[in-house]
Amino acid sequence: METLRRRTAKALMRHVAQIMPSKDWGTAMQNEVEAIEDDRVALRWAMGCVAAGYRERMNTMLQTWYFRSALACLIVLLALREFFAPLLIFAYRMEYLGLAHFLGLRTAGDDYRRLIPVMDATPFWVVALWAVAGLLYLVALWQMLRRTGASYMLFLLGSGLDLAGVLAIRSVEASTGIIVEPIPMIRLAGFVLTFSVAFVLWRMTWKPTPAAS
Amino acid sequence: MGRKTIRSKQTDRLLAVMLKEPLAWQHGYALMKQTGLQSGTLYPILLRLSDQDLLEAQWRQADAPGKPPRHVYRLTTAGLAFAREETVPASRTSDALLGARA
Repeated sequence: METLRRRTAKALMRHVAQIMPSKDWGTAMQNEVEAIEDDRVALRWAMGCVAAGYRERMNTMLQTWYFRSALACLIVLLALREFFAPLLIFAYRMEYLGLAHFLGLRTAGDDYRRLIPVMDATPFWVVALWAVAGLLYLVALWQMLRRTGASYMLFLLGSGLDLAGVLAIRSVEASTGIIVEPIPMIRLAGFVLTFSVAFVLWRMTWKPTPAAS
Repeated sequence: MGRKTIRSKQTDRLLAVMLKEPLAWQHGYALMKQTGLQSGTLYPILLRLSDQDLLEAQWRQADAPGKPPRHVYRLTTAGLAFAREETVPASRTSDALLGARA
């Protein structure tokens, strides 16, 4: 009669055999657990193999064209988000009201006019921060597609500028009494998403010390 | 495209263990016991070494009846040379073997 630990270890190893990109290695890991007599050790072995399996799976997935394409689209969207506020403020200040109205429909509340006091009070350097952040995202994307350079560093720098801009705008919000983004969770989710992309870029461009040639 | 081998302490530890018996085929579990590495650390290192042709793997029938075949591993000639650079003291013992296998 097999113990619960042994059954769990075997179930985990079946899962590992499925998720490993190389079936040969997946089977090798699965079979190895059969040779471990101690159930406790077998379970710990299996749990380690699950971690290794997912790590290998992720490394393989990061290099696929569809994952890279999806990530590229996401970075473009994040860059567009950075350009949004500068473009809206530019359109409003230059009195391109048609464009301002068009963009305003995409703001919280569907009407940019409630944001007019904020746009009037927003210093130029904050607008510039967001625009530069958007540009940095696009350069990071270019680097990712060409597989050159450490794109995550540019992306992280852009994220930092974005964060600085958001922190700066809080004082404007406080002075005008207008909250640009009424739902704080949306802003938080944006930061989580941005830093998740930075992490993935770091994993993709991670270059360990070369082996001896 | 093969992955690069990481110069980590764990890799060094594994290479040092494999250098002790360079011609012997060893199971993953045996390597785990000798190195003290967990399977979640050991297998990614084995995979990377194998990708770079520094490690060779073979299927072996299990000693006990009814058990499935197991993977066994040993360093290739290139792997031995790499290991020798990584772990200099241990390499002295394998110099003669390297010459014999080349």
